[in-house]
Amino acid sequence: MAVRTRTPRTFHRAAASLAALTLAAGLSAGCAADDEEPGSGKGGEGKTTITVGVFGVFGLKEAGLYKEYEKANPNIVIKQNSIERVDQYYPGLLTHLASGSGLSDIQAVEVNNINEVVSQHADKFEDLGKAPGVKKDNFLSWKWDQATADGKTIGLGTDIGPMGICYRKDLFKKAGLPTDREEVGKLWAGDWEKYIDAGADYMKKAPAGTAFVDSGASIYNGASSGYETRYYDESGKVIYKDSEGVQASWNLAMDAIKGKMTAKYKQFTPQWDQGYANGKFATVSCPPWMLGYIKDKAGKKADDQWDVAQAPKPGNWGGSFLTVPSAGKNKKEAAKLAAWLTAPEQQAKLFEKQGSFPSSQAAFELPAVADAKHTYFDDAPIGKIFADAAKSIPTLVLGPKDQPILQQITDIGILQVEQQGKSPDEGWKAAEKKIDDLLEQ
Amino acid sequence: MAVRMAVRGRGRGRGVRRAGKQLHGGWITYTILIIFTLGSLLPLIWTAIAASRTSTRLSETPPPFWFGGNLMDNLGEAWDGANMGLALANTVIVAGAITLGTVLFSTIAGFAFAKLRFRFKTLLLLLVIGTMMVPPQLSVVPLFMAIAELQWTNQLQAVILPGLVSAFGVFFMRQYLVEALPTELIEAARVDGASSLRVVWHVVFPIARPAMAVLAMLTFVFAWNEFFWPIIALTQDNPTVQVALTGLPQGYATDRSVIMAGALLGTLPLLAAFTIFGKQIVGGIMQGAVKG
Amino acid sequence: MTELTETAAPSTGEEGAAPAGERRLDKRAARRSRRYQRDVKWSPYAFIAPFFLFFGAFGLFPLLYTGWASLHRVSLNDPNHMEWAGLHNFTRLMDDEFFWNALQNTFTIGIISTVPQLAMALGLAHLLNYRVRGSMFFRVAALTPYATSVAAATLVFAMLYGRDYGMINWALGLVGIDSVDWENGDWTSQIAISTIVIWRWTGYNALIYLAAMQAVPHDLYESAALDGASRWQQFIHVTIPSLRPTILFTVVVSTIGATQLFGEPLLFSGTSGAAGGADHQYQTLGLFLYEKGWFELNLGRASAIAWTMFLILILIGLVNWLISWRLKKSEGA
Repeated sequence: MAVRTRTPRTFHRAAASLAALTLAAGLSAGCAADDEEPGSGKGGEGKTTITVGVFGVFGLKEAGLYKEYEKANPNIVIKQNSIERVDQYYPGLLTHLASGSGLSDIQAVEVNNINEVVSQHADKFEDLGKAPGVKKDNFLSWKWDQATADGKTIGLGTDIGPMGICYRKDLFKKAGLPTDREEVGKLWAGDWEKYIDAGADYMKKAPAGTAFVDSGASIYNGASSGYETRYYDESGKVIYKDSEGVQASWNLAMDAIKGKMTAKYKQFTPQWDQGYANGKFATVSCPPWMLGYIKDKAGKKADDQWDVAQAPKPGNWGGSFLTVPSAGKNKKEAAKLAAWLTAPEQQAKLFEKQGSFPSSQAAFELPAVADAKHTYFDDAPIGKIFADAAKSIPTLVLGPKDQPILQQITDIGILQVEQQGKSPDEGWKAAEKKIDDLLEQ
Repeated sequence: MAVRMAVRGRGRGRGVRRAGKQLHGGWITYTILIIFTLGSLLPLIWTAIAASRTSTRLSETPPPFWFGGNLMDNLGEAWDGANMGLALANTVIVAGAITLGTVLFSTIAGFAFAKLRFRFKTLLLLLVIGTMMVPPQLSVVPLFMAIAELQWTNQLQAVILPGLVSAFGVFFMRQYLVEALPTELIEAARVDGASSLRVVWHVVFPIARPAMAVLAMLTFVFAWNEFFWPIIALTQDNPTVQVALTGLPQGYATDRSVIMAGALLGTLPLLAAFTIFGKQIVGGIMQGAVKG
Repeated sequence: MTELTETAAPSTGEEGAAPAGERRLDKRAARRSRRYQRDVKWSPYAFIAPFFLFFGAFGLFPLLYTGWASLHRVSLNDPNHMEWAGLHNFTRLMDDEFFWNALQNTFTIGIISTVPQLAMALGLAHLLNYRVRGSMFFRVAALTPYATSVAAATLVFAMLYGRDYGMINWALGLVGIDSVDWENGDWTSQIAISTIVIWRWTGYNALIYLAAMQAVPHDLYESAALDGASRWQQFIHVTIPSLRPTILFTVVVSTIGATQLFGEPLLFSGTSGAAGGADHQYQTLGLFLYEKGWFELNLGRASAIAWTMFLILILIGLVNWLISWRLKKSEGA
């Protein structure tokens, strides 16, 4: 050969080691898969695996409920698939629903999406209203109704988010406001306007570098969740532009921003966490699931500083449902598990361990809820506070696009005014434009 | 200009030969390289610092600048919380298979596009480049429908096979070989009666070696970190590392220190592989491709 | 795109196949020659076949589906139900201010991330091409940003650029500059995102350049040195021209990458949603597409955005090709 090229040995070695590595990994994974077999198949040793698809920090696993169920039902193995962000979880769920493949046996759905699922996909889910072990009367009726269409109930309520106000006693004291949770609750009882007034008082003597509330979105979420109708009316028409609840809540947020009583955070960002850690604001709208978050982010430094009082008006922020897609492999066992997970006793346990407040009114009477106190919040009787709020929550009228509409108002409208210094008018128009755009398909 | 002339005049009647010596770097070279290296490593080091702290400490100011004592706890929590053992094994299979396939297919296709004659060549090449332009976020929906039709959901081939379509790789090898592979070499081999396969094995592969090494490394890393498609196609029953990591948030709130520990767990094997095999793979780049 | 369209293959063998002056036409040689002809004719197809096989199954289908979907009203709620809409999705985009905003952001972020990135990568590759101690270490280190996942990198950078407690504002404060609200400014947010892109991809491109530099014959440098060219002149007149196909490659790939930029702006905001800032100040086309398809569930519109991006890239390619064609012509004249 005229040209003699040589492949250096190192290359062979590298290629060979890569191949060997792949092979070895393949073998070890094969073994691993074999080990898994009893759990992952339907058959192996007669065990059934039920998969549960959830998003974010859902808590069922953390509260030990899966383990308990597996203990009581030795033929069942439960596996959880969780995806951190709801905005990745929900489109994935829709894609899986459309193809009837890749679904977990149980799928969680967030309250802001439940209406869309009920109105568009009810045929792809099992009717849990008739599943064994499900008692309609255990659930708050409005929660039950949210996942029901034409007599078919496709979702069982897990938790709800009755609203309270969390506040920092040390900051309130310095600003000359009362610190006792009863008195604080009276400051604004019955009217969110009074909450803004309290904010104005706070700001007059506010400790340096602090604000009354974390964000305009916090006020908007708190206030708007107390109205029956927000974005849709009972007939399903979009009415957000003229809705009293939306307008009043928007104006409240604007008043707070104009009065410079917000700390200008965007909620659930690392910056917001730092705001907690550094005690930059005195109050925040506070459903029960927020308590754990505050404890985690504010940390030991603020031990015994936080407390929780009643909100101006009862409202609901957040909560979820468990559904059983019809395309699943173990529908019967999945329905049983979903019924068990949402039964009063389990909801009470979830509240005790994770702070997710029961949607089961039967659970309110259980001692684990009724007598619950939170040590980090100065032993506040959170069971009583939130149960009281839960009982007076109005039946919210939901619509399919609640989630994106709400998000445009808080993340576009309010943030433009709060963080970018635009006028309330400009902010509202920007949000309105986005909403109209997304509603027009 | 003479230099320009020299460049233009290259490639005719002259064996390609590389002298073994290279220019030595001076202190300026070292200074700049060290600055680059620090800039590259600092965020990673900070990830490790964050992984060694508590979530609460991460929210405080000033942020931690040095390691804390929670590294092992957080790593353990991330390991248990995300199905990490299986995930790592799966990821090695997926990334390994994608890499082997991509490098092989890209090299031969790249060679064909660079040096051989066939019908519709330009058109097909443009099609290849066009493939790169389809935003991956959107391919997910039709791709999942296809996968569901094949009943491949939650199986590794659902991630491996679509991963083999590397228009990038074909384009990369083509651009490399156009310049690096002297046409005379192929002609000479042909004169000796070598078949196309022999030409590929004895001429193209040796010359393409540095580019293949780079492509292998880039593909492996890309496949390792890919999550948008795997998150749809797989579940945490049979995850890759990135899918497993999305299941991490536990406790009351998203624990950022555990997330960072998870990110570290996902990156460390990659860096370890670099340092172990890097010497051979990257080292291959340093040696002359063709020896006269 | 000169290098792209030129047919770089002078005939690969007819001459070799039929050596002149050969008299004896024995059968073996004839058979051999026939086999050889077949080999030359068909082997190119065999070489590209594996790629196009997978491409047909997993690349072409999504492309066509997307094109079809862009002409329909179709929602992620029910992707199988399509309602013909003609060009509605496209015309609707043309007077959608959010589309134009995203296009503009994509362009500016693309420029401020790609140009410095490639220039730095070229320089870095040049330095790595020197004989340096610990070159292995420098190379692996240069690639660590690429090995870091977008999520981890963006989380770290979002903290660095934090408004109240970010390290960058803290450093600015040391030299007496007021805190910058990085996320909320038009330019500041785009610069912040560009630095993430630059950080992640510079080492990667440097390695690609390095591989190509290794293929530059050393005698080119030697003759340049004989002509009295300095190191800098050698870099400009030897290295860069030899790297032209590779540079073109990285420019094309970076342009495509910049057009599709998505993960960094998505995660930079720190929460769910794909608005790209309260005023969409850093919403890119990729993010806009994601918002339409995965957040508003409007698959038809999202597909139209994808195809518009596709067409924009083809347009850029055409312009690029025209320019290089004109240049080539004027050079030849």
